[in-house]
Amino acid sequence: MKRLILLFMGVSMVLSPALAQENFPVNGAQDKRLNIYAFTNATVVVDYQTTLANATLLVKDGFVEAVGASVAIPKGAIVTDLGGKFIYPSIVDPYTSYGMPEVKRGRRSFMDPPQLDSDRKEAYGWNDAIKADFDGASEFTIDAKTAEKWRKQGFGTVLAFRPDGIVRGSATLVTLSDGPVNEVIVKERAAANYAFDKGSSTQNYPNSIMGYVALLRQTHYDAQWYTSPLNKVQTNVSLEAFNALQSLPQIFETDNKLRLLLADKVGDEFGVQYIIKGSGDEYQRINEVKATQAPLIIPVNYPAAYDVDDPYDALNVSLSQLKHWELAPANAATVAKNGITFAFTASDLKDPADFLPNVRKAIQYGLSEQEALKAITYTPASLLKAADKVGSLKKGMLANFLITSGNLFDEKTSIYENWVQGDKFEVTDMNAPDYAGSYQLNYGGNSFTMEISGKAGSQKAKVKVNDSTSVDAKTTIDGQNISLSFQPDKKKDGNIRLAGWLNGKNFKGDGQVENGDWIKWTATYQSALEEKEKKEDGDSDKAPGLGKIMYPFVAFGNEELPTAKTYLIKGATVWTSEDAGKLESTDVLVQNGKIAQVGKGLSAPAGAVTIDGAGKHLTPGIIDEHTHIALSGVNEGSEAVTSEVRQEDAIDSEDSDIYRQLAGGVVAAQLLHGSANPIGGQSALIKFRWGAAPQDLLIKGADKYIKFALGENVKQSNRPPTSNIRFPQTRMGVEQVMADAFTRAGEYDKEWKAYNGLSAKAKATAVKPRKDLELDALAEILNKQRFVTCHSYVQPEINMMMKVAERFNFRVNTFTHILEGYKVADKMAEHGAGGGTFADWWQYKYEVREAIPYNAALMTMAGVTVAINSDDAEMARRLNQEAAKSIKYADMGEIEAMKMVTINPAKLLHLDSRMGSIKVGKDADLVLWNDHPLSIYAKPEKTMVDGIVYFDIEKDAQMRDAVQDERARIIAKMKSAKASGAATQKPSRQYKHRWDCEDEYLGDIIKASQED
Amino acid sequence: MKKLKYIVAACLLIAGQAKAQVPEPVGPQEKPILLMNGTAHIGNGQVIENSFVTFENGKITNVGDATVVRLDMTKFEVINIAGKHVYPGLILPNTTLGLEDISAVRASIDSEEVGDLNPHVRSLVAYNTDSEVIATLRYNGILLAQSTPQGDLVTGTSSIMMLEGWNWEDAQYKADDAIHLNWPTKTFSPRWWMGETEPRKNPNYQSSIDKLEKFFADAKAYSEGQPAVTNLRLEAMKGLFTGAQKLFVHADRRVEIMEGIQFAKASGATSIVLVGGTDAGNCIDFLKDNNIPVLLTDVHRIPGREDEDYDLAYKLPAILSNAGIKVGLTYETLHGSRNLPFTAGTVAAYGGISKEEALKMITSNTAQILGIDGTTGTLENGKDANIVVSEGDILDMRTSKVTSAFIMGKGIILDGKQQMLYDRFKRKYESQK
Repeated sequence: MKRLILLFMGVSMVLSPALAQENFPVNGAQDKRLNIYAFTNATVVVDYQTTLANATLLVKDGFVEAVGASVAIPKGAIVTDLGGKFIYPSIVDPYTSYGMPEVKRGRRSFMDPPQLDSDRKEAYGWNDAIKADFDGASEFTIDAKTAEKWRKQGFGTVLAFRPDGIVRGSATLVTLSDGPVNEVIVKERAAANYAFDKGSSTQNYPNSIMGYVALLRQTHYDAQWYTSPLNKVQTNVSLEAFNALQSLPQIFETDNKLRLLLADKVGDEFGVQYIIKGSGDEYQRINEVKATQAPLIIPVNYPAAYDVDDPYDALNVSLSQLKHWELAPANAATVAKNGITFAFTASDLKDPADFLPNVRKAIQYGLSEQEALKAITYTPASLLKAADKVGSLKKGMLANFLITSGNLFDEKTSIYENWVQGDKFEVTDMNAPDYAGSYQLNYGGNSFTMEISGKAGSQKAKVKVNDSTSVDAKTTIDGQNISLSFQPDKKKDGNIRLAGWLNGKNFKGDGQVENGDWIKWTATYQSALEEKEKKEDGDSDKAPGLGKIMYPFVAFGNEELPTAKTYLIKGATVWTSEDAGKLESTDVLVQNGKIAQVGKGLSAPAGAVTIDGAGKHLTPGIIDEHTHIALSGVNEGSEAVTSEVRQEDAIDSEDSDIYRQLAGGVVAAQLLHGSANPIGGQSALIKFRWGAAPQDLLIKGADKYIKFALGENVKQSNRPPTSNIRFPQTRMGVEQVMADAFTRAGEYDKEWKAYNGLSAKAKATAVKPRKDLELDALAEILNKQRFVTCHSYVQPEINMMMKVAERFNFRVNTFTHILEGYKVADKMAEHGAGGGTFADWWQYKYEVREAIPYNAALMTMAGVTVAINSDDAEMARRLNQEAAKSIKYADMGEIEAMKMVTINPAKLLHLDSRMGSIKVGKDADLVLWNDHPLSIYAKPEKTMVDGIVYFDIEKDAQMRDAVQDERARIIAKMKSAKASGAATQKPSRQYKHRWDCEDEYLGDIIKASQED
Repeated sequence: MKKLKYIVAACLLIAGQAKAQVPEPVGPQEKPILLMNGTAHIGNGQVIENSFVTFENGKITNVGDATVVRLDMTKFEVINIAGKHVYPGLILPNTTLGLEDISAVRASIDSEEVGDLNPHVRSLVAYNTDSEVIATLRYNGILLAQSTPQGDLVTGTSSIMMLEGWNWEDAQYKADDAIHLNWPTKTFSPRWWMGETEPRKNPNYQSSIDKLEKFFADAKAYSEGQPAVTNLRLEAMKGLFTGAQKLFVHADRRVEIMEGIQFAKASGATSIVLVGGTDAGNCIDFLKDNNIPVLLTDVHRIPGREDEDYDLAYKLPAILSNAGIKVGLTYETLHGSRNLPFTAGTVAAYGGISKEEALKMITSNTAQILGIDGTTGTLENGKDANIVVSEGDILDMRTSKVTSAFIMGKGIILDGKQQMLYDRFKRKYESQK
């Protein structure tokens, strides 16, 4: 292999006279040449802002020597007259894995035992998803085939990174020259790359978006600790490398707009401004994207039109997919209009040949040519701090440039030559003859019209065999020689094969017809080709008419976000969930998002919208203490303790289920971590402000919560014996996990308290303890700054958990599921724990066989604050009915039942001072029902959050029509795109996974069932 | 989901726990009973506000308007149900009741046999009257259930069981009523845990159909010929061609529904029912033209597609019914099946049909679809005395409180283990006060 490389290098040295490696031995006589090139009379685009007409570009030894209108041409220069042609700096792509080693994705089978530790035996960090040590420059090799492919499309310089891991090490900036490899690296360490993706790691942790973020955070803190005096013995190549990466441009890859926002948020926590590789949907949340101030790298891969000919297939394409098809080409224009710095990348394209056409499409959809040019030259170079080397053509910069027939963004333009570091790579022969025209083709008594068309150098002939049929001829044009092969009659086997030469403006020669007879032929030039009319759709110069963006970007999203108004709801039956109970014929005034007045005969202030509540019921908005909707990840679950992960990092504001919950009268929820491990992750408390971005869904100032879990899931009882390795596997072990975690947290907390208690002066010399995000969250529990919601089923474990808490001097705030809570309700009341339970779920696994529909009532009877919660997207929108089941089974009073889904969950979430009841001063989170709100027949007519109507049954009816209309409009457009030849893709139904507590365990089991 | 059980099974060594107490079966009806002054919901759409219902020897003998008809009350045990509501016993079709207890515990699951051409596998003989789930269904008014084998392709033969009896022989209402065909799916749901969002093609779709075609053709030939060797599988299929048994085709998506039904019709089966029908709203005319009744699963379902109306599943039964298709309701999970009446309530709330129409979907329609309407499904003279009395509207959890229930005239014991546990802990907490 080594010999082969040496051989290859020798060869390439001969082939690349511009580059010389002085210190490398030469086999044979040395071959240094002058390497001076002058390109005269060209339109030189020096950079995205400067174009020189009739200018000269002078190149020497691979660098730009001079550029301008009056450049003296030194002797010995090879001069090329480029009259009428253009010179551009070649394209810089800031996001490729060109020349990088292949990455094998880590996958483990369900039957494999869990892998808790790293696979690597060297002195790296503990987690294989952190590959900070990867050094792109030392792993880079030239891939001549790929380089050629990219050069043909106008690329000259690319950033090469290895897409492996969350921290991906350093990337290197290289040219697409053929080498030698030592001379193509423009910038050895040009960037550090990151992504929410663990790549080849087969370790269990992390296995969720929350885990990815948490590991990245902790790596930052560990890297700080690493260089502190606290680290006395550890050598950690990963952390050392991580620290060294920090001075580079930091590029974060994301796969949708929400992850883009998340990456930026994480960066902000550590003072890092990431350059973010987006996915092309930035326009869907452009205000938030703009607010990140992150420079972007955006792809130009637009979805193909869906094949919507079958109306039922079409049903499988969602409105959001349809609209994205329409709007994706306008993304760049939107990004530019908002003043966001961005570079284009071809990275998400299957074929780089689609790059320029798609950039042109972006221009057609409103991006200016100058912005486009900037995004493919200057901006990528500048983001990588290499604007002094590539991206423009100024003295001293690399001679990386393109010679084109015209404006790069004109689809008729050909790239003739792509020069890389002073080496010429021909793309199409700029001297190729242009034979385009209409000819009269005569052979063996036949006479047809023949057209030669296409760009010079790659022209093709087409023979019109009758008025309605043209057949393509296989065409080879080589200088003045031509050969053609075509089949004039589809029914007749065999081809006409002609070979000939240019004779004046005409061609002539000999050939064979179908039966093998030799004939003579001529093609006589008739006229130039007629300009074809431009197609209506897609190819016109004007930006096409586009639909509106809705927030969130799914059906039933709003084009304009609804706003708070003053509402007077008159004459309704008002369920206060306060001591006042149920008030008949009562008015409620909503102002500034709050409940302003409750009473009879209230008068409407100016500008108030009056809602007739007569015969209707007004209740506080329902609060779901336990849900997993609006999340893109639920279970970290890989380790027994993952208190460092945060559901806040996984909020999916685009989840249609938010709207559906509003249609069920639900206004707020605790988004909980799953139940795959004893100590799970931190909750996110949100309000269902449909249309708002993830961070705006959060309830500001809410107390902090965390999920704990007990029982079968954490013990992994339903897994195969091969995976029964993680501690704990029994209730006994669970107790010890808890005890150990809080013992550690206590010690940690003490350490920090001692440090924080030091005087400023003492602090200056003291060493800061290591920050541990897992223990931070647990210490918060000990300090009563974070509260526990604990998934639980059978009574001994519930009791145990309370005893552990008491031992460490805190309280379990809420037991959730708590299906045997009725057996220890008195103990729960004494401990101070609340219960969030299901009305009647049972028997779906062993530990729930004694779950009874009287649980809520019995716990209430014993003095426990009880909420009915969902853990299920469907049941969540019927929580009022679930509460009513306690009336049915246990004769609970209806006021009390209503409390279980309003004020009680508010209490359990410590939000009862502002939510959960109808009381002056509280948030106007209200539901207007058409019937008794605990009845199966009751439907919400209006659901309000903070005084904003997010669900209105009448508006919903209009939106149903609007969704159909908008679908019809785009489907029609798609059909015409298909008719005019656009590529299509088969519609394939998008399935959304709906999470619940059990997911990690179920997921693995299903996985196994697919594998057997 | 079905395979899931397998895996759990393979992984678990948990044995089923010893059976806790189930309510004791009662003896046959001894005395004629008169239910006086209740609101009778006949189950065919009719309501009698102030009614009387009499039954004797397990059969309904008279139902009428108490304000009009005079009755000699002396021969009856009179139960005054003034202010209450009386209904025909509710029917739960397509369930694993009696075959399965705890869905995550392998040892408690007897609903799915190995193989995919199993018409000879019969739920009847596996139906466990000691299942703890039974009492919880009766408690909400469900008195009959079609216990149905699960699995791939031809899953087995169901039987309609009473939710009362010492053993499966006692409990059978209609043995071997139908063969179940789980029509294969063209695509599999994406493996979300692998990051997939799009479905994958089922590579075996066509070969499964080929297999079914051959099997049904062979079964038909067998039923018409004089086979020298008895083939239990083919023997079990005979009833399909004589009309003695129905063919229940389980399918959810439009194309699969249509192909499944077309197959069933071509197979020579005389009576066909569609079970599942998630996307049945997309082939209404097809179902109507072919006169196929539908047992819809899962009214309480969140939309599967982003663009769907939020209440699509809630109103779908009414949409089909309004189009002239006979609709019954069934319930996806076993442990949740006690909520069957509330799904009918939801249909009334969102589907724009009356409560009585919705009630039919869990009584008379279901009886017709199962082929037991001659003896049950309504409160009509001559029918079996399968009767439920509730304090209020049985379709609404706010008012539904079943106070008594009769299966074949026998007043059954409603309270089960759950009520026993309730009483035990209620006593405990009351004594602490």
